[in-house]
Amino acid sequence: MLEIKVENEGRVAFKGRLDAASAPKAREALRPLKGPMALDMSDLEYISSAGIGVVVETYKRLHGEGAGLRVLNLSPGVRAVFRFAGLEQMLAIE
Amino acid sequence: MERRFQRDLSSLPELTLFVADFLSHCGLSPSNAYDLDLILEELFTNVLKYSSGTGDVAVGLTRDDSLITIAVREFDATKAYDITRAPEPDLTRPIAERPVGGLGIHMVRQLAETIRYEYKDRVSTTTITKKVSSNA
Repeated sequence: MLEIKVENEGRVAFKGRLDAASAPKAREALRPLKGPMALDMSDLEYISSAGIGVVVETYKRLHGEGAGLRVLNLSPGVRAVFRFAGLEQMLAIE
Repeated sequence: MERRFQRDLSSLPELTLFVADFLSHCGLSPSNAYDLDLILEELFTNVLKYSSGTGDVAVGLTRDDSLITIAVREFDATKAYDITRAPEPDLTRPIAERPVGGLGIHMVRQLAETIRYEYKDRVSTTTITKKVSSNA
């Protein structure tokens, strides 16, 4: 189960699980949004490679448009998956 | 414990429940769930994307002290799909130049102690071992 809340100033909050089943919902929510963007993952319990794919896809789109992407408030488990994906040093993680 | 799951993404919540049941049954900490969920999701979705099998997918979880063995089996597979031969992604490339995807097996490799694959009598089996915290 994944909840996505689009807030002000390009901030998008995730709650629940961003897995292969919920990745299409996340992709659909993020696709129309312009950058710069901040993904708040305070309440994200779980992410898999499918969720990482959504983040990478969004980064690439915004990068192509000259805008940035920040990722905020990762739990230790979610952060580990970003590390496995080789993104911990390359993305702006706060 | 072994259960069979429908070959569909809608099975992912059931896989998560299966892991939680297994940890509870073994008296293992729920904090072990994340890594097991991740391994199982990546293996299961690879089956959905690339395998040649049909019908339900069998998932087995067994415990020997602090070592968990995860076995994912599928039946009537017309050819082998050996994840141990999957290429490693190039994580040194800038994100803007990377393909989207191709990270699932890499993540399994990061978490697993061992990965074994067998294809015999049209049954395709991937077996992973993973150390867990034995504290309840």
